[in-house]
Amino acid sequence: MTDDAVDITKVRAEIAAEVRARRAAGEYPPAFERELDELFARFAPMEVSESLEAALERSEDAAGIDPEIPVASNNPVLGIVKRVLARLLGWYHVFVAQQVTAAAVAVNHVLRRVVEKITDLERVTGDAARARESLARVAPARDDESWETLVVSALRDVRGRVLVGECGDGRVLAALAAAGIDAYGVEPRAELADVALAKGLEVRLDDVPGHLGGVAAGGLAAVVLRGCVERLSPGELVSLADLVTSAVAPGGRVVVTSTSPSAWGRDRHAIEADLAPGRPLHPQTWAHLLAERGFPDVEITPVGGDALPPVPSDRPEATVLNANLARISDALFGPDAYVVVATRDR
Amino acid sequence: MTAVHQFVPTLAPHDAVSTHYLAVRSALREAGYRSEIYAHEVKPELRRQGRHYRAYKGARADEPTWLCYHSSVGSPVAEFVLERPEPLLLDYHNITPAEFFVRWEPFVAGRLSLGRRQLAKLAPRARLGLADSGYNAQELTSFGCGRTAVVPIMLDVASLERDADPAVVARLDAVRQRGGRNWLFVGRIAPNKAQHDVVKAFGAYRRFFDPRAELHLVGGSSSHRYLTALRDFAGALGLGGAVHLTGPVPDEQLSAYYRHSDVMVVCSEHEGFCLPLLEAMHAGLPVVAYAAAAVPETLGDAGLLLDTKDACTVAVAVARVLRDDRLRRHLVDAGRRRLADFDIRRSRELLLDAIVATVGPP
Repeated sequence: MTDDAVDITKVRAEIAAEVRARRAAGEYPPAFERELDELFARFAPMEVSESLEAALERSEDAAGIDPEIPVASNNPVLGIVKRVLARLLGWYHVFVAQQVTAAAVAVNHVLRRVVEKITDLERVTGDAARARESLARVAPARDDESWETLVVSALRDVRGRVLVGECGDGRVLAALAAAGIDAYGVEPRAELADVALAKGLEVRLDDVPGHLGGVAAGGLAAVVLRGCVERLSPGELVSLADLVTSAVAPGGRVVVTSTSPSAWGRDRHAIEADLAPGRPLHPQTWAHLLAERGFPDVEITPVGGDALPPVPSDRPEATVLNANLARISDALFGPDAYVVVATRDR
Repeated sequence: MTAVHQFVPTLAPHDAVSTHYLAVRSALREAGYRSEIYAHEVKPELRRQGRHYRAYKGARADEPTWLCYHSSVGSPVAEFVLERPEPLLLDYHNITPAEFFVRWEPFVAGRLSLGRRQLAKLAPRARLGLADSGYNAQELTSFGCGRTAVVPIMLDVASLERDADPAVVARLDAVRQRGGRNWLFVGRIAPNKAQHDVVKAFGAYRRFFDPRAELHLVGGSSSHRYLTALRDFAGALGLGGAVHLTGPVPDEQLSAYYRHSDVMVVCSEHEGFCLPLLEAMHAGLPVVAYAAAAVPETLGDAGLLLDTKDACTVAVAVARVLRDDRLRRHLVDAGRRRLADFDIRRSRELLLDAIVATVGPP
């Protein structure tokens, strides 16, 4: 007999809630999954992408073909046959092995020269990978409190899974959960992810583009983008717009919270601004990128900023003065940040 | 009479795709087409069923002839077919992206890359692309195939009705008698199937829920290095005695695993279809699976799909399925209903409809 009363969506939500509760109670150590990943990595070969030099060395190691013909066998008769064949064909095997080795060595030689040229180029132009490594060690400037209310209010009527990437220590995530929104976070920095996990929040240790790449098309009701939108290069940000477009269901929402380009690099953002390969986009650029991807309804809200106080309006020159003060304010002390809320076509 | 001949990389016994080739040939012959199978490698057990592809002598003068190439890996057969003048049909069973194998088995990665390069040449030439899932059809389109049709793999459910091997049944029942549960994964040991994530989740389950549970990873290996790493990983977690890597097993043993395990857990990163899901549905085994690639499409609502495979979440999900009788019954019932969508008669109809619309009547 079929039991139609079982609501699988509800079951999934209950499972997520149970995991959160067990984490909050300390039953599941925050770093448990990461330790499992690290343990498995000990037995796995190095990722090819991890180190160009290591991959090149491995390729060079593999270039030498062993000319020795294996003759061991569990079957004594087969062992004799193999030894006879090895003696008869050994000269040809050596001939082939030498040619294959020569070809592999030649290819590796070319690769080595290419790597050297790339290294020289990076030395001259600045090694982007090293800057990214340094950036990863910088504690990010977070100002979640300034847009927490705006984000919660933008998503209050959303039904379904919401991704907050990057979620940092989980402040916005916790606010969304408190508002009854089914939200989870992605955070690439382990120390911040652990803080959020310890609060019993659902957090994946991953980078945002990588995580979004694995999300099924239309699998999310909304995506909140923060942090990464200030540091990725323009090309990466356009790709990120593609990824959220794929991940968000029709009628779903994208919320971008970002420092303003004019405020980027001021005070506490200075180190991030200097080392990051990219910089924040203007809110109008996000509106454009999202509109051309099927999010026609876009709302931009400026956040913060220290505007110059207007002169009293009873003075005769007040209108002209205040208009100019507003322009100066905008140029010098304009909004610190902004929130873009875009809703996808149904 | 019109001929539709199949060209395949390998024709082998106990292989789901080879069974599909034979079922396609039967369907074509019964519909009135002349049809043969040509392969790069024909295993001795099936030597009466197929010929070497070089034995193909071309179309008869009086007989319209189509070639149907089955794409699943890089093969010299693809190059042969590309050089033939006959119109082409393409049946795509998915080629695992090479990046899953690069660091484990570079040679296999090379063959997979070759397969995808060949697919890029074949897809635009094909008059029709057949795919066993919508996921595969989408890939075919991205490779430039103009017209596609989804025809599920030909699975004869009756062939799954086998006696269960008593020795395996006794082993699995002994675990239950000790108060433990049996986890199952069926499929080749391969990096894209991410059995290491199943082991992680199983480790969490043993630690937090059921220290007597056992995990059975059933299937041959596509990567010796990955298999070794998996075994060492399980050992390092202290699970050496609880994780069983069975290797390939005979049908009766497989039947025993399906019918006497408690849950099937799938954490694959990439599956073009995932036939074991249907076998689990047939055996009444509830499924907990990570929603990646074609898994959500094949499983439908007949399993507990998760959008994460964090070890703790998978462990909690399995614990929920095992303690909640109503949920388990619901999943098993949904599995039986879902299985009906893959009825071989329906797949044959879909196949012949697509073939007749493209090739014309026999």
